[in-house]
Formats: sequence, C-alpha cells, structure tokens
Amino acid sequence: MPVRVVNSATPSQVPGENSGHTSRPSCSLLSVGQAFSGTQNVSSQQKDEAWRVNVRIQGCDLDHGYLCGTMEALNVPLADTPVVTFWEGEIVDAKNYTFFTGKWEATRPEDDIRHWTKFPSFSPLMSQVEVDGGKSLDLSNYPYIFMRWKEQYFVNVGTDCGLTIAGFYYVCFSCSDGSINGFYYDPNSSPFQKLELKVTNEGRSGFSFSSYELQ
Amino acid sequence: MPASASSNFPADLIGRLSSVDGGAKIKALREVKNQIIGNRTKKVYYIKLGLVPSVVSVLSTASDSDSDLLIQAAAVVGSFSCGVEAGVEAVLSAGALPHLLRLLSSPDEKVVDACARALRMIYRSKRAPKYDFLQGQNMSFLLSLLNSDNENVTGLGASITSHSCQTSAEQKALYDAGVVKKLVSLLQGSLSQRDASLESLAILIKNNHEVISKFVGPESGSALSSVIELTKDKNARTRLLACMCLIVIRNGSLCYLEDVGIRNTLVTVLLGLFDDPGQVGDEAFFALASLISDNEDLQKVAFEAGAVDKLRVHLQRNPSHARRLQGILVALAELGSKLESCRSNILSLQVLKSVTDALTHESTEVRAAACICLRSVSRSVKNLSAGSFTDEMIVVPLVQLLHDHSTCVQVAALGAISNIVVDFSVRKSTFMRCGGLKQLVQLAKSMDSTVRLNTAWALRNLVFLADSKRKDMIYSELGAFTFVNLICDHEPSVQEHALALVRNLVDGSIHHVEYAFAEDGVIFQAVGKQLQSALNSEVWIQGMYVLSNLASGAEVHKESVLEILLQQPGKGTQSPLLKFLRSNDSRLRTVTVWAIINLTFPSSPGAFGRVVRLRGASIFSQLKTMVNDPCLDVKLRVRTALGQYLTFVDDSA
Repeated sequence: MPVRVVNSATPSQVPGENSGHTSRPSCSLLSVGQAFSGTQNVSSQQKDEAWRVNVRIQGCDLDHGYLCGTMEALNVPLADTPVVTFWEGEIVDAKNYTFFTGKWEATRPEDDIRHWTKFPSFSPLMSQVEVDGGKSLDLSNYPYIFMRWKEQYFVNVGTDCGLTIAGFYYVCFSCSDGSINGFYYDPNSSPFQKLELKVTNEGRSGFSFSSYELQ
Repeated sequence: MPASASSNFPADLIGRLSSVDGGAKIKALREVKNQIIGNRTKKVYYIKLGLVPSVVSVLSTASDSDSDLLIQAAAVVGSFSCGVEAGVEAVLSAGALPHLLRLLSSPDEKVVDACARALRMIYRSKRAPKYDFLQGQNMSFLLSLLNSDNENVTGLGASITSHSCQTSAEQKALYDAGVVKKLVSLLQGSLSQRDASLESLAILIKNNHEVISKFVGPESGSALSSVIELTKDKNARTRLLACMCLIVIRNGSLCYLEDVGIRNTLVTVLLGLFDDPGQVGDEAFFALASLISDNEDLQKVAFEAGAVDKLRVHLQRNPSHARRLQGILVALAELGSKLESCRSNILSLQVLKSVTDALTHESTEVRAAACICLRSVSRSVKNLSAGSFTDEMIVVPLVQLLHDHSTCVQVAALGAISNIVVDFSVRKSTFMRCGGLKQLVQLAKSMDSTVRLNTAWALRNLVFLADSKRKDMIYSELGAFTFVNLICDHEPSVQEHALALVRNLVDGSIHHVEYAFAEDGVIFQAVGKQLQSALNSEVWIQGMYVLSNLASGAEVHKESVLEILLQQPGKGTQSPLLKFLRSNDSRLRTVTVWAIINLTFPSSPGAFGRVVRLRGASIFSQLKTMVNDPCLDVKLRVRTALGQYLTFVDDSA
C-alpha cells in the first residue's frame, strides 16, 4: 500500500531577522569526491554547440556556505586537450549568502531573479526573494540547493586559450537525484548557456562515497 | 689577604663561611654574591661544589640582631634561586625556606626586604613546595603578607598565590578570604605591586566561571575597569599582564567582554607589544594566540588590524630566541585556523619559506609549532588543489620529522601531512616520492595510540581519490594485515580512521573493490567484525560506508555485503541493518539506506533475490516508517530505496 508522503516542497519562513538557525543544507550527493558529468550548451545565433563537461567536488564547508571543485570541458573546439578550471561556489543558505549576487557584474536583483526563475524549483521561493533576497527563508529542508559557481583559474591551459572564465553560473542542485542545472552569466557572452549534469557512477552498480578530513 | 688560587677558592670560601668571625662571613658572602650575580655558569659551579648549604647555615645560625649577616645571606640565597632550577633545589634541600619565612617578621626592614626578595625567587620556580592555603593559619599568613606596607612582602604574597593556586576549590577559598579584593586594591599600588597582582589575579580566576562573574560584578567594585585601564599603562609588561588577565576572563566565560571596543583594544595593544624586543614581546605572541583561539570573530578582528603582516615582519627577522619564534608560529597558526581570507593572506605573503625553515630548528617546541602552523594553512582546499604544498621544500623536512625523537613533534608532523597529502590531481605524490609512505607504514605499528591515530588519518587522506597505481603501492607497502590491525585497534578513533581509509581504498574504479576481498577477504572480514563489536557511532558510520561502497561493486560483492548486514549476532537480536536504520544518528541512517539502494540497484542481475531477502528481514517495512524522516537526506534516500523496491514487487500488502 502506498504510503502517504508529506510533501514539503515549500520551505518555511522564519519570521523576523535571520537568526542563528542552522540552515545548513545537507545532502550526501553534494559532498567531496562526488563526480558529475553532462553538457554545457554554448549555442549562439551562429551555431549550435555543446561541450561535454565533468565536474568534481573537492571542498565543502557548509558552515561558511562554501564549495569548490574542478570543471573539465571536453571537445572544446579551440583547445587541443580538455580544459580544466578550478571554481568556487557560494551556497545560498540565507545565512552566508542570499539570492542576490551583488557582484561579478550581476549587481541588479532583477538580473538575479531573471536567472533563478529559470529553475522550476525556485518558484515557491520567488515572492520572499523579491522582498529580501530570501534572507529570512529556512532552506535547510528544501530538497534543492541553490548556488553560484565562479571559475577562478585555468588549471591546465593558459589564459590565451581563447576561452573566458569572466562570468559565473547560477546553479540548482537536486538533493534527491544529484542532478545539476545551471545557467552561465556573463554580459559579454551569449546569455543563458545551460549546464546540465548528472551524478556519475563511474562504472559502478550503485553509488560510492569517499571522503577526506582536514586536521 | 690575597685571593687563593681558583682550585682552592671554593674550599676556602666554605671555610670562611663557617668561620666564627662574623666579619669574615660577611666578606665571604659579599664575594660570592658579586661572583654569581647575573652569572649562571658561576651559580651552577658553586652549587655543584656544595656551597649552598654553608650559606643557608649562616642564615639559620645567625642571631636575629645580626642584620648585615642575614641580609647578605638572604641575598645570596635569592641569587642562587634566581632563574636556576638547580639553585632552587639546593636552597630548598638545605632548609632555607622556614628560616626565610620566619625572618619576614624581623623588626629590621632591610632584613625583611632581602628575605622577601629571596622567597619571591624561590616561588617563581615549580620546585617550590605547594603552599596549602586551606591548611591551618596559612590563609591568614598569606593575607598578612598582602596587607603589609612593604612592597616586596606584598609582592611575595602575590607570588605565592600565583605559584600555588591550582584548583577551583582553592580559587573560591582565596576569593572568599578576600585575597582577590586585596589584589585588586594593589592594582593602584606601585609598578611592582600592579604587575604581581595582575599575574596573580589571572591565575585566581582562570577557568572559574563563578569567580569570574564575581570579579566582573558590582561586588568587586571597579576591578574590571581597573584592569582595562592598565592595558593603556606606559609600562609594556603591565599592558601585557593586563591583556592576559582580560583574556582569561574572556576565555573563561564567553558572555563577558563582548564589547567590541575592548576586543579591538586587546588586539591593538597586543600587536603593539610585538615590537618589544624582550620577554614581553615573546609572550605577547602567545597572548594573541590565546585570545583568538577557536574564535572566528576575533581572528577577523586581528586580521583586519594587520596581524598577518606584523607577524610576517617579525618572522622574517629570523628571531634567535626560540620562545619568540615559537610564539610567532603559534599566533600564525591560530590566525589561519578558521578563515580562508587569513590563510590566503598568509600564503600570499610568502611566509611559507620561513615556516618550513623552522621545521629543522633545534628546539622541539619550535619544530612542533612550525608543523601546527602548516597544518592550519593547509586547511585551504583552494591551495591544496593548486598544489601549493607539493614543493619538496615543505614535504622533505616534514617527512624527516616523522622520525623525530619527540613524539609530540611526530604527531604534529602527521597532522600537517594529513592535510598536505589530500591531492586532487593525477600528478605523482611528492610525499610518496620522498619516502613518506615507508614512514607511515612504520608509524602504523607504533605503541602510541595518538601516533597510530594520526597515521591512519594521514593514510586515509592519502588514499582519497588516488589512482590504481598509488593504491596498489599503498596496499602492497602496508600489507593487508596492517589494515586489519588498524581496523581492530583498541582505540575507537583509530578504528574510525582505518575504516575511512578502507572506504577510500575501495572507492573509485570498480576493481578497487577487490582490495577488500584479496587474501581470503581478511579486510572485509575485519570490517564486518568491527561493525558487530563496536559501540561507537563514528565507527559504525565509516564501516557502513565501506560496505555500501562494496555493495556498488559486482554481484559477488553485493552478496557478501548482504550476508554480513543481515546476520543476527544472537537469538532475538537485531541484524546490523535494522539496528542502523533505527539509529538516532541521521548520518548512520543515511549511509545504511545507501547500502540498501546499492544492494537493490535495478540494473544488477541478482537484485530481485536480494530484495526478497531484505523484505523477509522486515527491512522495507522499516523503510516505510521512515518516509517522513526528519532528516532531509535520509528521507530522500528512503524514497529512492522504496522506489527501487516497487519496481520489483507489487507491494499491496
């Protein structure tokens, strides 16, 4: 007999100022060592193009809303080898970061909202975000994690490789299946280049997790 | 009389000290005093030659009216005790203490002064006997010292208090007897009284919430504001001692001194004290470290006040004094302990070279502090990823410290190495290239559990995301039985890291699962055994991650894992699977559900058979009670597991 499921798709709102509630999203698929693969669509008016992309999470500090890792783009036309970048992420947890970016040439709330609304899972949050950037939201039980990922440097090629890392990604991560969707934002590139990734099982029949712990 | 030849001189002196002629004694004492003052070598020489008992004998046999003799004898005793532990020991063994204490009530102020000064030297040493405040008239005697008009005597009272107050019961008794109140009044006294009082107050209130709250409360008058005022005193030592007193208040009870102004003052004053070239400067580094320890907000305040740059400047001056160098390294370690901005700043200022130079310093404390500093800055994942710590300049000395004669240094080096070996790239590990693995293999067998723990930790991190080549090397160097011994260690923390090591070993490429099953599956069996016998959540969690990872392998691995998880250790007991699903720890529930997901992964041929067995063991009924688990991660995994279950069975029961 199917069990009745309580669907808590809409996050609760914490009245008043953002207090010391622990809005730490915790999801075993968003953890160090996890690998994801998929594509980034880099189509423009001239042509349709997509690169294969692999992402690996290297660091995760939920208390500070911080994530980092590498992104590897394959079959990049201008490059001889896959291009690897190192990125750092901000987790929108209402404590460390809100939905408003306030930097990286995305200083207007309307730019932020225009991108976040491209994720269907954002719509229940919209009204509160429009008011205060979402800082009074309790996202700890929301089954999606919103982030911004900013590439910091090229790991294996020079800056003259013809590629840019000037922009950043608006990212939505699904806690239930580990799928990642993102939109690249860079006023000097084609808008809404889409990133779509899924968890890689790396040939296994199931999910495997490794970890490190820093002293 | 001409001076004797040096080889006869001490014997001659002893003779003259035992002379019946008071004048000769005084002359001999003066000669000794002039020789030993400020001269450690001479002090040690005369101590070895047995001069001290003769001097103390003068003190004990002189009549109370023989002021000159008493003053000179007390001065020599004081000098022998000043900064020389062997001197204190000799003076105490010769029975000087009771005589000096008795002479504090001499009608001659100069005798009192000399004896008080000598006693202060003695009570600076740990070898001085503990003064029992709670016994007999001792508290009254102490108070009489503190109430004296003589500065040296009040100073002595404060020194005795600093030396001997060790327990919270003593702290309370001293507070109740009015000692704290008296010391607070001495804060308005002379420089020497203020400093002695500040030093003593810090000890009297340290870690004692009750005494601290009285100290800062209205019943102590303006005690707190007097101490705060002294942070601005023109004397550097007074400023330092006042800061240390405030730090003790802050660390003992976090609700006090939240005031931003006071916090900023503390940081500014301490940073200013760095420039003092002497002992005050040395201790200021330690005081800053203590202030900001484990406190992100204060680390930020210190960072914004320019602490990193100041420390860099002092570090690059290459201090010759070991204590100072240790202090700088400890302060840097605390600054970089939590905030990435601090670490990045420390690393960008090229401080690493000076820190790594300190790894080969002759002082044990400096070597350990350098390791702790490296451990702090290597918490930067961004820099680990960028390979900032892969230089041989850093790795080679660290590997050498793994066979340092001091266990404390070995453990500190292991701490830094644990971080530095986290390697996300496929480049060959510098650590392994420098022979680090062989050292770890040895240390895994250490008799010291702290060493074993840190070794297991370092190995775990070394194996994280390692490729087949590196894993093969590690497995073959360590040997299956070293893994087993670590997993079955009697310390739970060692077990935990050993299991995490195996978790990482069997992750990655699917054939890595074979490591657990090689050599008749000794490692696999050890994991299963530990899961049954351990009583510790952290051990269960890591053990379950091993099993869950193995369950993502081939059919034979899934079957082996299922066997262990459904085993009932005794009649009427729960299987490990059910026990862990019902745990209060959400992390344990999460990993257990992952194991079930892997065991019943739809694409695997034997999944249906395992589903049937799990259903028979009431696992799915248990999962159904968990669909609204309060932990989001557990809830989502349960739904995935049940979703998979429903693809196999039509569950209308």
